[in-house]
Amino acid sequence: MNLEPAARPETAEPWARTTARARVLQIAGSILPIAISLFAWLIAGVNPIVVVLLVLLPTLLISIGTVGFILKGKRGIPDAALIVMTFFLGAFVMVLLVSVVWSLLEAGFRALSPQFIYQNNTYVTPTDGLEFGGVGHAIIGTLLVVGLSTLITVPLGLATGVYLTETRSNGRGFVRVILQAMAGLPSVVAGLFIYSVFIVTGISQYAGWLGALALVPLMLPTISRVTEESLKLVPQELRNGALGLGASSWKAFFQVTMPAAKSGIVTAILLGVARVVGETAPLLLTVFPIAGTNLNLLSGGMATLPTYIYRFVALGFDTSVARAWGAALVLMILVGILFGLARYISRPKSLKKKKVKR
Amino acid sequence: MMSKSKDQTFHLEAKDINVWFGERHVLKDVNLQFPSNQVTALIGPSGCGKSTFIRTLNRMHELIPTAGLAGSVLLDGEDIYDNAVDPSQVRLKVGMVFQKPNPFPTMSIKENVISGLRLSGRKSEISDELVEDCLKRASIWNEAKDRLDEPALSLSGGQQQRLCIARSLAMNPDVILMDEPCSALDPGSTRRIEETILELKATMSIVIVTHNMQQAQRVADKTAFFLADDNQPGYVVEFGDTQQIFNQPVDARTNDYVNGHFG
Repeated sequence: MNLEPAARPETAEPWARTTARARVLQIAGSILPIAISLFAWLIAGVNPIVVVLLVLLPTLLISIGTVGFILKGKRGIPDAALIVMTFFLGAFVMVLLVSVVWSLLEAGFRALSPQFIYQNNTYVTPTDGLEFGGVGHAIIGTLLVVGLSTLITVPLGLATGVYLTETRSNGRGFVRVILQAMAGLPSVVAGLFIYSVFIVTGISQYAGWLGALALVPLMLPTISRVTEESLKLVPQELRNGALGLGASSWKAFFQVTMPAAKSGIVTAILLGVARVVGETAPLLLTVFPIAGTNLNLLSGGMATLPTYIYRFVALGFDTSVARAWGAALVLMILVGILFGLARYISRPKSLKKKKVKR
Repeated sequence: MMSKSKDQTFHLEAKDINVWFGERHVLKDVNLQFPSNQVTALIGPSGCGKSTFIRTLNRMHELIPTAGLAGSVLLDGEDIYDNAVDPSQVRLKVGMVFQKPNPFPTMSIKENVISGLRLSGRKSEISDELVEDCLKRASIWNEAKDRLDEPALSLSGGQQQRLCIARSLAMNPDVILMDEPCSALDPGSTRRIEETILELKATMSIVIVTHNMQQAQRVADKTAFFLADDNQPGYVVEFGDTQQIFNQPVDARTNDYVNGHFG
């Protein structure tokens, strides 16, 4: 008997075979509603939003449903409806997302230039041309304030997540309730809290570290809850395996449980940073925005991107609004770079990539 | 390694073990002695407390919330439940292989073998010879030798279970507890693990929970039959040499069980 491996034939996926008739019907069923919608929009001049909701969606449902009925009988209709709705809603979300990013690119690109990234705003008036000044000071301020806040919150948040999953303490329910309450805390209240505790009492002037403190209660619930969820996904058998080998619970956690939850924990930190990086209100109450660069978190004013955007939009001049858009674009790019870096650093080792299916 | 020549003393001995989960009494007055260099099988229908009992032998039991226990477990004459005893020290001497293979997914095959030494801070004992020796004794060396740096999860289920055995062997334990180690495995892997068990008993004692009567007869020197009546705590009906339990059981219920009449 011949046991040599055989080449994979073209028909090795018998389940994916679609007949020509079905394909023609499906394409026709999708093109027809799009053609009707285009006609209604371009020729009849109906508002495109109305066309999408009242023409495209219903005609798609009807025509794909009919195709489904022809191909599969009655059970093809709900299938078709589900497929249409899934694609339609998916496309809807994509359009929303792309339009947000697009409008940011469009409006922010005008202000963007190398000098806009690295210069600060000293001696620049709001009506000056876009070739003067930049948001360099605000980028540094945001990195410093959010960085310090992350340094404070990550140990607290991780410890809370570990407390909630790895211990059997009776206080866990109470801590969960508090975290939920914190997650619902309006960010301006967090700012007011720091303002009234440190600034009103005269303990400190406006300063960057107060802004970092004001962001802590906003970041903490996200980090601890996501950490908790990712640790919960680690199977109990792994913990037992480690403890059964005579590991202390400390080592079992750091060498077995935590590595298994690593990507979830990185996600927790990223979500926490994302939660606060655009926060404006707490910073307005705790950090005095200035036009110059300040590297000292302990004293003096400090610009951050969100407060920069807030101030320059409020000024209302054409150039100042353009600067605000530019700063918003810079903020988005900054977050993108930070997330990309974090994902790169925490990527699974080649160990996982080589995973062989048997 | 400690000497295993103490013929008269039992290596591991459970005395008057009673177990509760919450208010529920699940094991009553279990007294068993596990002789050195012998394999002891624990058999009995599901829910009779075998797995619970085996977990009391290396203090894994107390990791379950609401767990309670009375009685003592003597390892070479010392009570492992004594206040002065650190549970992780007990687990170093009494290793465990679980029902479901649980290699550490973030580690390679080799790292899994030495994980116990790392976890217990005995890094100085780590060597390639040790890895090879443990994998050989767990009879997985031939399948694993060319892929020691591949992730442990790339192994098949039966190989993963043998890797878990190798992982326990690296700790050089005095006793290995096995909780239905073959329940998720095919007959071929089961046979390999049984061969491994028979080789291992030269250097350690083994306690194995099994639902497979043939397996108990193939590997075990001693057999204990557990039983639990409805809503009553489990207890040991009969304990003795495997041949006697299967061929001339004293108790009628043992006879019924080993001949497949219930359970």
